[in-house]
Amino acid sequence: MDPFTWLLLAIALTIAFYMAWNIGANDVANSMGTSVGSGALTLKNAIIVAAIFEFLGAVLLGAHVTDTVRKGIVDPLAFTGNEFNFVYGMMAALLAAAIWITVATFYGYPISTSQSIVGGVAGFGFAAIALGQVSSSTVHLEVLGKIVASWIISPLVGALLAYIMFMVVKKLILDKADPVRATKKVVPFLVFFVFLVIIAAVLIKAPKGSIIYGITPEMSIGTALIIALMAFIIGYLYLFKFKPKRARSDMEKYGHVEYIFVYLQIITACAVAFAHGSNDVANSIGPVAAIYSTLISGAIETQTVVPLGLLVLGGVGIVIGLSTWGYKVIKTIGEKIAEITPTRGFSAEFGAALTILACSFMKLPVSTSQVLVGAVIGVGFARGLSAIDFKVVRNIIITWVITIPVAALTAIGIYLGIMYFV
Amino acid sequence: MAKKDNPLKPDKKAEHFRAPVTGIFRRSPFEGLLDHASKVRECIKCLSPAVEYFCDGKYDKMDDMVKKISELEREADQIKGNLRAHLPRFIFLPVKRGDFLMLLREEDAILDYAEDVANLMTMRHTQVPKEIKKELLEHTKKVVETAEAFENAVVNIKDLLETSFGKSEREQTKRMIHRVHRKEWEADQVEARLSRKLFNSKELEPISVIHLLKIVDRMDQIANHAENAGDWLRAMLAR
Repeated sequence: MDPFTWLLLAIALTIAFYMAWNIGANDVANSMGTSVGSGALTLKNAIIVAAIFEFLGAVLLGAHVTDTVRKGIVDPLAFTGNEFNFVYGMMAALLAAAIWITVATFYGYPISTSQSIVGGVAGFGFAAIALGQVSSSTVHLEVLGKIVASWIISPLVGALLAYIMFMVVKKLILDKADPVRATKKVVPFLVFFVFLVIIAAVLIKAPKGSIIYGITPEMSIGTALIIALMAFIIGYLYLFKFKPKRARSDMEKYGHVEYIFVYLQIITACAVAFAHGSNDVANSIGPVAAIYSTLISGAIETQTVVPLGLLVLGGVGIVIGLSTWGYKVIKTIGEKIAEITPTRGFSAEFGAALTILACSFMKLPVSTSQVLVGAVIGVGFARGLSAIDFKVVRNIIITWVITIPVAALTAIGIYLGIMYFV
Repeated sequence: MAKKDNPLKPDKKAEHFRAPVTGIFRRSPFEGLLDHASKVRECIKCLSPAVEYFCDGKYDKMDDMVKKISELEREADQIKGNLRAHLPRFIFLPVKRGDFLMLLREEDAILDYAEDVANLMTMRHTQVPKEIKKELLEHTKKVVETAEAFENAVVNIKDLLETSFGKSEREQTKRMIHRVHRKEWEADQVEARLSRKLFNSKELEPISVIHLLKIVDRMDQIANHAENAGDWLRAMLAR
């Protein structure tokens, strides 16, 4: 490969790494904030959990959404013969997304990395069409439509799942006169359920090229059942030996319940980190995967799997972002939402994790922060929180409307600029 | 009371982040409500001593109590003002916003009437005959018990919030509110006896009767509003 190609690749990888860093510095904090705020995880433990599970999620499951970003929105095959335009375009998209994420981070706008990268890639596609380089069917509008729809639906689904889970906790535990006893009976089943659903889903829907790919559905469910059963037994034994001090007041009773739920929340915190890694790594790696395979092979490739090395790059970027800056954000968020308790945190994280995982399975890049906001609101609707501010919802709706145009226009601008100079 | 941060926050750097999750949470107005309720409790505690001093003619000590009552009422008013100012329309509470504000209003009325009673007592050094004194103290005691019963019920809000208004806690709170009703009824009984004695008193001057009747009437209002407040709390429990 000639030096120019190397230079392009190096630039692309750098920007991609920066995007991953930004994700680690910001979005991860959103996922871990509820666990730190409730006290389920100390800051240190949150960083450890996030680092491990974000990385795992990115590497084991990240290829699904990465596929969408690198070849689902804009059809790479349309650029056969025009490979460099494709590379420039993807770089424009990546750069546009990086710019807007930096601006949004500085001003605190709740724009998501997923939204900006999707906008950037779409913008490049539209620019190429406008310049007459490719046909108008190059941009898969139906995919774009599905993605935007998922941005609107995913927080709602997150809200619904969180609501249901919290109602389960409320009816089976909080409603009872002896909530501690109810907790000891119900929690092992909750543990079992959470483990089963998540592990089975992850194993069944592992993307091609992933280390865990190729396991038959029967074996997936079987493995999940075994692990879930072990978790059930461990949980049951631990709770069996849990004999708290005689609660003198109601608040002490509920304190015991919350204490037990800390463990559940730790489990869901891992799940959220895993889900987040699987969905957001694509925002940094997606375009670069397209660039990489095109430059290395010299031709447009659509059938290859996402190179593991790139997923690892993304995962590492996220972890580094988390450990160099993200922990400060987690601390700040944890302090600001200290009213949340483990029962609520668990329900919200469960709803968010399942929703985000489902979106990853469906190859849809969604905003994990917005899903989490939806989940928290879901718990609020179940009367689980003392006060919820709906202003955030309005800001989120605004992002749905303006992010694509803004990111797209920037990408178009950059792409046109590159076209002019090269 | 507002959720807005201290602009002098030292760690400016970490303020640059995208975290919609933080925007969702708001400072709970229920904390303020419980603060207000505790002021009510402290204020009510001063009533019995104040009335006793009034009956015994220890007007200096009574004035001290009255001053304390006024101060507590003023502090409570501040809390109330804060709460009302920070309940915008886009806030979502586990109870109806209107119910919350009405509860606050009735609690405020308890304090207002307590202050009324205190001020009334300072206006005239009316001599209180022994058997009137007995009934007056009994009435005060019943009224204070009513307000305390309400305060016990309202403190249960903490448990209600924790269990997300769970069935067991709701039942518990309903029983406490029922007690408020009972105490209010008992206060009414004493008030009837006391009023009858005042109307038929041979030894009191008419102006004394008027003074004492006004005090009794205002005192009774304290119990009434405690009962009303209990009813609004009951409304907040509705699913």
